[in-house]
Amino acid sequence: MRITKPLIAVLVGLMLFGLLATAQEQVSIHFLHAMKTTHSVYIDELVAQFMEEYPYITVTTEYGGSYGDVEQKVNAGIVAGNPPTVTQLYENAITPIVDALVPLGEHFTSLELADVIPGVLESATVNGIVYSMPWNKSIMILYYRKDLIETPPTTWQEFYDLAKELTVDLNEDEQIDRWGTILRPKNPENFLNLLHQVGGTLLNEDWTAATVNDAKGLQAMEYVASLIPYSIVGPEYESDYLAADQICMFISTSAGAKYNVSAAETIGAELGYALAPAGPENAGTMVQGANLVVLDRGQTEAQKEAGILFVKFMMRPQNLAYFCVNGNYMPPTYASLANKDWVTFVGEDEAKQVMTAAMAIGFGPLNHPAYSDFRYSMITRYEEVLLEASTPQQALDDLAADFEQYLE
Amino acid sequence: MSKLKAWLKHPRMPEPWKDPSYWKETGWAYLYLAPSLIILGIFVFYPFFSAFRLSLFKWSTVNPPGTFIGLANYHYIFHDKYFWRALVHTFVYVGASVPVTLALALLVANLLNKKLRFLSPARVSYFLAYITPVVAVSMVWRWMYNWHFGLLNHILGWFGVDLINWLGDPHYAMLALIILSVWRYVGYEAIILLAGLQSIDKMYYDAAMVDGASGFQVWRKITIPLLTPQIFFVFVISLIGSFKVFTEVHILFGGSSGPLRAAETLVYYIMSEGPLGGRWHMGRAAAASVVLFAIVFVFTLFQMTVTQKRVHYQ
Repeated sequence: MRITKPLIAVLVGLMLFGLLATAQEQVSIHFLHAMKTTHSVYIDELVAQFMEEYPYITVTTEYGGSYGDVEQKVNAGIVAGNPPTVTQLYENAITPIVDALVPLGEHFTSLELADVIPGVLESATVNGIVYSMPWNKSIMILYYRKDLIETPPTTWQEFYDLAKELTVDLNEDEQIDRWGTILRPKNPENFLNLLHQVGGTLLNEDWTAATVNDAKGLQAMEYVASLIPYSIVGPEYESDYLAADQICMFISTSAGAKYNVSAAETIGAELGYALAPAGPENAGTMVQGANLVVLDRGQTEAQKEAGILFVKFMMRPQNLAYFCVNGNYMPPTYASLANKDWVTFVGEDEAKQVMTAAMAIGFGPLNHPAYSDFRYSMITRYEEVLLEASTPQQALDDLAADFEQYLE
Repeated sequence: MSKLKAWLKHPRMPEPWKDPSYWKETGWAYLYLAPSLIILGIFVFYPFFSAFRLSLFKWSTVNPPGTFIGLANYHYIFHDKYFWRALVHTFVYVGASVPVTLALALLVANLLNKKLRFLSPARVSYFLAYITPVVAVSMVWRWMYNWHFGLLNHILGWFGVDLINWLGDPHYAMLALIILSVWRYVGYEAIILLAGLQSIDKMYYDAAMVDGASGFQVWRKITIPLLTPQIFFVFVISLIGSFKVFTEVHILFGGSSGPLRAAETLVYYIMSEGPLGGRWHMGRAAAASVVLFAIVFVFTLFQMTVTQKRVHYQ
């Protein structure tokens, strides 16, 4: 009897020690994103669900401004040694800092990786390693005015013929009042779409030489040049020209759909949606948007693990579908495209059906460390063609020379 | 401080800081200067010297500051045609906007110095352009310059002028920037010149009137010479500021440097090589900023030595 009480005390003590030893250490992580209030409410909802599922992880979310602002903050954070744990960046901002990132692909199964749309996963891959997860994406489609166009064009030739037909001088003052389409000088993505559709590439397979000025590149750029007389060439958004009744159709990102619809309503027009006209090889257009990454710098092992769990949670089909339905983005995985919430959302919606179909054949940007430089040069040379300061061949040769310089 | 100066002149004298009475006299002075010096040190001097150092490296965000490459960044920018174009654009911008703004400011200051009705609201309205945030001003001017619907083309249309593509035509882009800049800074410079005008003793004008001097003679022989301190100040400040123009360019041309980079100034070039557009060539950007510093330094030195002799202080 004398030893009973001390024995019980020892047993209770051992039990308590065991419980404490197995209890999870509390971890705090920081998620820096570029989603404004209209979108961040959905992030907050997902974060709340995540913290409910993982009560030992606290996620602090922060709106970091535009994608450029977030990129600057992340870069500054890396240099200072205190970047956020998880963030949202464009692919070209990710590639130069891969040494500071957790290779996320190693934490996803092969089935999970195979579920990501291939063209999009490719742009998240650097030297064969997946460093980021595609998250909030948009795809380029054809918008057209149903009051002026009965059947949308499906090929380059049809697009050209229609643009020519629709370019009109309405009041016969020898000034064009409405153009068939629009070409925006600071947006070389339209040229990249055409280059992809004609089977061309910016660089050769091993990235040692520029191929943009070969026959396929020239075919794409000459097609752009042929559209100039039937396009308004300007820096504003397509919706601005649409609202001013100055254009009839254009290829643009799905993320701008609500602005385009609003602009069309301003002039009493109804907007139609279609896949972008197909080129000689395919009809794919560029997938744009940001990816999620987990930073390797300034984080404890526990924080990195928590960050990985957070990204995996955000990539679950139902969560991707939730965010995309509410945020007007396109799900980047087949499972989320087939998710019942997304399917219901797409439903009878013409726009969403077209966007979903386009997403399945989309391609991502070239994932080269110097892609920002490439794009900078592409803007310059593309603009020279649109403003007729250079011929397509000369512009492409100059572009190839720029690329060669960056490859050095 | 006089002990310190004396020691600096005659170093064989005993060091003043070893004398306790020196600290009694000057300790408080150093204490009052300390906060400003610390802030200047962190936000001005350290970045200033860091830029020089950074210009010798190929920047790496992941392993800062990167690889030492000597003068390779300078070699790159001096062989980059866009650097020289940015330099030319900057000189065109400075050469046009500074004297035009100064001339208009003189005119406005002269008008504001008259005894007219509604003078106070006029002064406020001129100064409003300067105190309104530059982003807001640039955004409004972006719409005013709109090719088809802008106010400017609408007004020019009354006089039979065809639509001008201010922001989309490379021939007009720099002019559009200069007009915005002149409009923005005229008020600020006019207020400073007005203060100078109002400080000129009336006896000079009275004497000139007695001697029968014409209006132009009074302006040339009395007003301008006695206004030279303010003109000199405004000239130096506006020259230095003009070399650093960036925000107006960035907002006016929607996040770019204009059609065919026609309004790309040196600071815009520096930002483009750096974080703008995600290029992060910080070494090259630093090298270009060192070159900009050298140019502004030479210009300011020139102003100080050559034009200073022409400044008449009362």
